[in-house]
Formats: sequence, C-alpha cells, structure tokens
Amino acid sequence: MHISGMRRTAVVGALAVLALGASAACTPGGSSGSSTTAASAVSTDVAGAGDVTLKVSDFWGSAEGDWMASLIDGFQKKYPNVTIDRTKEDWSQLITTLNLQLTDADGPCIASANNGWGSLGTLAKGGLVRNLDPYAKAYGWDTLIPQTIARQNEFTTDFTTIGSGSLFATPVARVSMIGLYYDVDKLKALGITPPTTLAELEAAAAKAKAAGEIPFAYGSQDGGTAILLGLQALYGSAGSINDYVYGSTSVTAKDTGLLDAANELTSWADKGWLTPGFEGIDYNTAVANFVGGQGVFRWEYTGSLGLSAEQQSHFGYIQLPQVTDPSTTVGVGAAPGAMVISSRCEHPDVAAAFLDYLMSAQSAQTAVDHGMIPLLHSDVTVPASMGTLTTEAAGAAAVGKSDGFVPYFDWSSTTMLDTLTAQMQQMYAGKTTPEQLVAAVDADRTAGLAGQQG
Amino acid sequence: MPEAGNDVVRGTPLVDRTTPHHRVRARTLHARTRWTGLAFAALPLAVYGFVVLWPLLQSVQYSFFDWDGVSQATWVGLKNYTGFVTDPVLRSSLGHVLVLIAFFSLLPIALGLVSAAMLTRARQPGMGLFRWIFFLPQVLTSVVVALMFRRIYAAEGSLNSVLSAVGLGGLTRPWLADFTWALPALGLIGTWVTFGFCMVLFISGTSAIPDELYEAARMDGAGAVREFVAVTLPGLRGQIGVALTLTITTALRTFDLVWVTTRGGPGTSTMTPAVLLYRAAFQNPDVGKAAAIGVVMAVVCLLIALVITKVTEED
Repeated sequence: MHISGMRRTAVVGALAVLALGASAACTPGGSSGSSTTAASAVSTDVAGAGDVTLKVSDFWGSAEGDWMASLIDGFQKKYPNVTIDRTKEDWSQLITTLNLQLTDADGPCIASANNGWGSLGTLAKGGLVRNLDPYAKAYGWDTLIPQTIARQNEFTTDFTTIGSGSLFATPVARVSMIGLYYDVDKLKALGITPPTTLAELEAAAAKAKAAGEIPFAYGSQDGGTAILLGLQALYGSAGSINDYVYGSTSVTAKDTGLLDAANELTSWADKGWLTPGFEGIDYNTAVANFVGGQGVFRWEYTGSLGLSAEQQSHFGYIQLPQVTDPSTTVGVGAAPGAMVISSRCEHPDVAAAFLDYLMSAQSAQTAVDHGMIPLLHSDVTVPASMGTLTTEAAGAAAVGKSDGFVPYFDWSSTTMLDTLTAQMQQMYAGKTTPEQLVAAVDADRTAGLAGQQG
Repeated sequence: MPEAGNDVVRGTPLVDRTTPHHRVRARTLHARTRWTGLAFAALPLAVYGFVVLWPLLQSVQYSFFDWDGVSQATWVGLKNYTGFVTDPVLRSSLGHVLVLIAFFSLLPIALGLVSAAMLTRARQPGMGLFRWIFFLPQVLTSVVVALMFRRIYAAEGSLNSVLSAVGLGGLTRPWLADFTWALPALGLIGTWVTFGFCMVLFISGTSAIPDELYEAARMDGAGAVREFVAVTLPGLRGQIGVALTLTITTALRTFDLVWVTTRGGPGTSTMTPAVLLYRAAFQNPDVGKAAAIGVVMAVVCLLIALVITKVTEED
C-alpha cells in the first residue's frame, strides 16, 4: 500500500515538473507582429497571373449567399483564368476557428472576419492576415471607402490602437445598420405618419399603447442590445462614439450618449412600451413576434427580419436624426464582414483584385438586386417593389451624407457584448441603474484596453 | 507486503510456487508476461498520452500565460488563477455550481433512494415500465431537454398555464428570466434528468442485497424506515458513490443546459465556470484564462472523485 501510494505521488510530482518545464521552456503563439508590413511590389494584373485557384471562406447564407455566389460568377467570367473555391460556414463556427484555419497551409486565401479586437485585431496582431495598404494605394481604395467605414478595418502596426493606421481588411459594397422598423399597416390603422424625430416616435408609441398595441416588439433573454445602441446614436456624436470604441481614453461612455439612451430605455420599460414579459423572450421569438404582427416598432439590425418579397411593402425603416441637431444623422453601420487576405495566400494580387470586385458598383447593384442595402456607391437602382429596401437605402444614404457611421459598440472590448447584455437585464430588473450600467461599460473597456497594451 | 507488479500475474495458472525450480521459471514468466502486457498496452497508452495527457499538460502550460490564441503569449504567472478570487463573475459562478450540485446530485439521490426503497419493498406489476419512464430523460440529448424546458418555463409556457389554471396566477413569471428563480429552474431540469438514472442504479443495487438481511431485520421488528437505514443504505454504499461521482461532475461541467436556455443570464445569475471557459476560449480570445478555469475544474473533479471513492469503499 505504502509503495503504491508513494509511487502515485512520484508520478504526480513528475507530471508537475514536466508541466512546469514545458511552461518555462517555450511560449505559446507564433511570432508577434505582421511580417508583411514591408510593402512588396504589388500588381493589379489578374489576367496575366496564369491559372489561379482561390479558396474563400465566408459566413453568408440565403440572400447574402446568393449575392456572393453571383459575384464569384461575375469575377470568374471576367477572369477565366481564376477559379474561386468558396466554402460557406456558420458565422460563429467561422469566427471562432478562423485563427486556426489561417495558420493551416491548406486554409482559405480570403475570409470574412469580424471587425474589432476579438476577431480582426487578433488575426492582424498575429500576422495571419496581410496589411492591405499597398493594394489600397494601387486600387484607390483610400478615396473609395468613406473614412468612418475605413477606420473599422484599421489598426496601427504596433497593434495598440484600432481605428487608425494600416488597412487590414476591406468592406464590401453593402452595409448592415441598426435602425427603427415599423409595421406599415399598423401605423396606417392608428392614423400615425412615420415619425421623423425621437419626440414624434414617443408620441406615436404613447398613442399605440393607448390603442392597445405593443409599441416596441422586444425580448432581452439572450441579447437585445440593438434598442440601446440605436438610441445611443441619437444622443452621442459620431466623433465621440467612434473615439470611444477605438479606445480614446479622453472619452467616457457618458460622453457617447449611453447614459441618455439607458435612461430613455428605462422610461420606455416603465411605461410598458416594450412587449410584456420581454425579459423571458429570446431574440428569435421577438423577431417572429414583430413580423407576425405583435408590435408597431422594432429596433433591429438591418437584414435580420428575414422579410419575404411579399412582406417587403409591409415594413418600413427609419433612421432617426440626432436629438439635438435634426440635420445630422448618426447610425450604427458597418459592412457585414471584414474581408481579409491570408498571409499564407500564394496569390495575394489576385485575392486583392477580388476584394476590389466585392467593393465595385457591380457588387452594390447586385446587393440591391438581392434585397440588401448598398454601400460605397449611390448610383444604384432599387426596384420599386422593394418597399422596405427603399426606406433602408434612404436611411443609409442619410447617414452617409453626414459621414455619421459609427461602429458596433461591442467592438470597444472583446467582452463588451456580454457586459452590455448582462447589465441591461439587471437594469430592467431594477438591480442596476443607468448610471451603474454606464460605469460597468467604462470598467469593461478599461480592463480591455489594459489587456491590449499589456 | 506484495510488490505492486504482482497484480499483473495474479491468478495466472502457469505460476506455481511449490519448488525452487518452478520459482525460477515463474520469475522469467513473470517478466515475460509483464513485457507482453506492456507491449499490448503500448498503442492505447500512446493514443491516451497523445489525446489526453499531452493536451492536459498544454492546458496547464497555457494557464500561466496571457494569450489571445494567435500572437505571442506573455507569462503572467498565477494571474489567471487569482481571477477565481478577484473576478466577481467567476467567483459567483462557483457559488452557482454549488447550487446546481444540490439539484443535480443530492436531490436526485435522495429521491432515488426513497423510490428505490418503496419499489423494492412492495413489488408491483408494471414496475419495469415505471423504471423505463423515469430513465428516459437520461437517454435524451441535453440540447433537446434544454429546448423542451425553455418552452415549459417560458412566459406563456405550460408551467405558467398550469399555475394559472389552478388559481396560482400570481406566481407566474418568465422563469428563466427571473433573477431569483432562473438558477433553481435550471437545477430542476438537472434533477429531472439524473433522478431516473439514480433510481435505476439503486434498484439494481438493492436486488443484490441478500433477502436474508431483510428477513432478519423484520424478525427483529424493524419498520420500513429502520429497515432502510440499517439494511438498504449500507448495502447501496457503492452505488451511492458512483451516483455521487457522476452527478457531481455533471453539475460541475454544466454548459449545454445553460448555453441553450439562458447563456448565463439574466445578468450573470446562472453563469457557470464552463460557460465562462467557453467564452474565454472561443469568443473573447483569452486562452490563458480559459485554460486556468479548465485546470481548476479538472482538479476539483479529480479531488471529489478521490474523496468519494475513499469514503464509499472503506470497510
């Protein structure tokens, strides 16, 4: 007994020593920083590149997938020497495994990453994706992409700062935004014209409530941050929200309109303007409720309602202007995916040409044809039958006119979305105040920034 | 005091210790058997080492670093471990696990013991069906179970309908969105899943207890309760140990149930270490923190298993 006991202790001890030895001997992770920063000679000549096969991984399904497929067709027709081998993956599947896929020799050459530190920032810092500055110069992307959109894909090459520096990903010629949807038929029945300011929206909500309707279709069980971030963009300036998300410590969450938005939202909840029992309603149910006719308005990410062609004329979209200055429109908006070129890609010149094609006027028109909101190009034709898209495109154009795009707030730290979701749930339950929510958001970003610098 | 290696040849008929000659033969045989045994075990051992031990060591290594999974990691010593004390969310997740242990382990074992005692004392026809029904949750996929209970607990779900129907409408609420009730509600799902397993385990255990013991107890005038405490409970010591080990480790590892129903909410009131581990490993790249959580969970599971084995196997 004693011997076997001692033996066991010895084995455990040996394992521990081995583990410590392994920890001290080598450090996990590849070489730090990007090795492709140095501008190698780039070429925009695709036809002369010979027979090339490009592997592309993205997360676009249904209409978005059709858009992508039709652009791949177009590119291959334009350059018959290029074959594009596309893999469609589930969004979370792709985002969580992209770091592994891009270290694999057989991995994709082009992939759609997520903006922010968690995905694109980590890949850029790890040297897994190319610095696209040379191509931006060659193709003139710096003039094509609006500044507020370009910043979403930029990092300084010491990787301490997001929102400035070199371009590590490109947008595509369509945009995803947060705004206010309304049920056209219900508004008509209530005798309300679509609101054009926050004050008008509140009057409409009060009227809807009095008439026995649910003013805002909502659920907070597993998220539901769009309503808060949508309101924030009505209070905070584009500059302050951008600076906050990109880590400027001279701006606090209170300066970004978050406190006003949280106060406003609490008052809506108190007035009973949100779907009854919304604490127990999950996201998918909340969307289904709104599309199914339970609720007059809904704050939502564009493209998330899943409207059929027939439903298009029954839902409208509003991008409300700022509270203090109705001539300015600020809105959360970004290209749905940050297109990166793998550092391992053998044909980066051809890959860059494809990214350029994804930002072309052709791409914007194809987006519209598939019912999605165009970006980068305004000379597109929206079919008259697409009622919702017409209003969505108008909203995007209004934000573009003010150069008022702000990034998704949860890019400010990798844990921000979890923090916001949990804090909002506590706020609805009266366990935190709007002030405490704002303080928690600041604390989360401070911790994230400390980790970034460390 | 036997050599540890003797276990290998115990019961081998070829070993005969009667004469010195045989003893020599036995020794060579002994050595040969040991090497043959090792040779047979080599491949499984190598596979085990590669897919279990090596990743385990790697996790221990990662836990001392601040690492995003891609770029150069930095050594941070025990910082990832001190999070269990300093990070209020991580700390509270340990408390939640204790509550879940009560629901996943203690409650079903108590219920399982009572029902096993009742079922074996008076054998009724149709008992097989009864057992089968209660065992059913054990074979269902956990995601299916979670989705099912999400509907039951919903604001307009069947639980609230039943409450309203019997005049308890005042109690209705969206159960999984309630800061007080979400965790117990999740715990009861675990009770429902593991109860049948415990009961079947205990019923088969009681059938192995000799009837004479029960007869003797009854002769001595023991009632149902006394009989249970004096005969059934000691006889089930091994089964209780198995049930405790399996259900407690299940509670400690709770992920799928929480992920499908509440994602740790409302607020962080149902957050478990496993959910935090997943978030740190795959969503907000912080591999060191994820590894530290994993290592602590593994050590705790191991300790619990060791303690339970020691306690229940003692004579």
